[in-house]
Amino acid sequence: MIKFAAKRFVSMVLILLVLTAIVFLLQKLSNVNPAHAYLGANASQAAIRHETHVLGYDQPVLTQYVHYVRNLLDGNLGVSLRTRHPVATDLGVFLPATVELAVTALVLAVLLGATFGLVSAARFRGAGAFRTLLLALASAPVFLLALLMILWISGDLHLLPGTGDTGYTNAPTGPTGMIVIDGLLHGQPAIAWDGVRHLIMPAIVVALGPAVSIGRVLRGSLEASMSSEFARTARAKGLKERTVVLRHALRNSTSAALSMTGLQVGLMFAGVVVVETIFAWPGIGLYVDQSIPQADFPAIAGVTLVLGVGYVVINTIVDILQAVVDPRVTLE
Amino acid sequence: MLVLAGIFAPLIAPYNPIVPSGIPFTPPLTGGHLMGTDEIGFDIFSRVLYGLRTSLVGAVVVVTSGVVIGGTVGLVAGVVGGWVDTVLMRITDLFLALPGPVLAIAFVAALGPSEFHTLLAVAIVWWPFYARIMRGEIRALAARPHLEAARLAGAGPYRRAFRHLLPGAVPAIVVTASLDVGNLVLTLAGLSFLGLGAPAPAPELGAMAARGLQFLLQEWWVPVMPALVVFLLTMASNLSGDGLNNAMSDK
Repeated sequence: MIKFAAKRFVSMVLILLVLTAIVFLLQKLSNVNPAHAYLGANASQAAIRHETHVLGYDQPVLTQYVHYVRNLLDGNLGVSLRTRHPVATDLGVFLPATVELAVTALVLAVLLGATFGLVSAARFRGAGAFRTLLLALASAPVFLLALLMILWISGDLHLLPGTGDTGYTNAPTGPTGMIVIDGLLHGQPAIAWDGVRHLIMPAIVVALGPAVSIGRVLRGSLEASMSSEFARTARAKGLKERTVVLRHALRNSTSAALSMTGLQVGLMFAGVVVVETIFAWPGIGLYVDQSIPQADFPAIAGVTLVLGVGYVVINTIVDILQAVVDPRVTLE
Repeated sequence: MLVLAGIFAPLIAPYNPIVPSGIPFTPPLTGGHLMGTDEIGFDIFSRVLYGLRTSLVGAVVVVTSGVVIGGTVGLVAGVVGGWVDTVLMRITDLFLALPGPVLAIAFVAALGPSEFHTLLAVAIVWWPFYARIMRGEIRALAARPHLEAARLAGAGPYRRAFRHLLPGAVPAIVVTASLDVGNLVLTLAGLSFLGLGAPAPAPELGAMAARGLQFLLQEWWVPVMPALVVFLLTMASNLSGDGLNNAMSDK
């Protein structure tokens, strides 16, 4: 078990190195000269040459890469061309809201996915219609779901707010940067509740697609284990159908659903970027959306690295969790 | 139906998609505009038809390149085996371990937004799935008796790969590819929504929805119509993919 975890950890470090190499190469490919960008548009040729030397951009590529990784480890992600702040500082401002949204959406996706899987595996009247509904949900682009929800729920019904993460101008900004938690920490439940109301729609929109995928995988493996011999034994023992499903089949079906959850996180991150743009959610998605038209590559690279690291780390954790749930995994 | 509409867009479209054809913000079904007009007075129905075409072509191009690149990598790895297999599959796993859509965003941003760069970026992150599937199929087939027979009959590695292994692996790849078109339509629309596709006023469904966003509460049809068409296209691809899957597995 520990050996398996250690092996996964080593490969995680390797994958992260490849990720940084890709982002580094993309930075080379983009035709922004960092020294020029750093000094501003009016810099003289001599100043640019000097700065290029100081920043080390006249070194061999491999040396530059080592330098780049060392900078990353120090938390130095370069300077945003648009905001003129260090990218790390900008990310510190925008990341908490994204974490709040993404974590909520992930929890929702797992809960909804489990429900979808269990419900559609059960044989009941209307199961076919339910599956078609799920297929429709999986086919809808996140921006359609977001637009329709804003139109109906905040436009027509005025039930929930459609933009931002808080309605309070004096909402606390620390210590976590997540409105709901900060509201509670400052003893202002009204602000926390308002945060929850702002969170509901974007979180549901981000969660729906992954939830359907998780549900489909879960249904597949549930059906396989329901027709297996241990399920027949459990039924023959006289256990209720519900006990057979929840105690016997479900535990043997979580493995595939878990790895699907890990894979869906990648798609979810892309969804988060789009959803944040629509709901004006002040996270790194909105940050990257504003950086794209300005070709602010340091900022985009920073967001890519943060999301990439998040994805790789989450998937490593999922792998290890899988081994805990189902020890057969370590044998491979 | 939707495919035909995409192919014949220039014939069906009542107006030129990038020439204003009416008063801005005409609601749907009025003044000869099936889906209304947008903020400039472009006919949305015509634009949506052209956008449909772009989406379809994009998805098909990426799926095809994924099948060709991934299929080749998987075929070589599966047939040759040994260290070639190990190296190729390690590279594939590396790509699979990275968040594809997020990398695609960075890739397009680095090269500069354009339709070609978007397709290139998505194609680069898309092939590993196909490499995995192809290799799995080939390995499973290689263990079957007819391959043993082919080898004993003196068939060389090329002959074995193309005459005996590849045809057996094709159905699985085709089913996967057909189920994948919907995903690609969604991914490409998402990138286009973020402004990573062709620049305005090119009719792309994602970009149209994004630009119409500011008019959502007053002129809802401007952003909703293109988004709805993305939905219909994806739904149709998923249903036909499912149908093909069922037809294949019945055999």
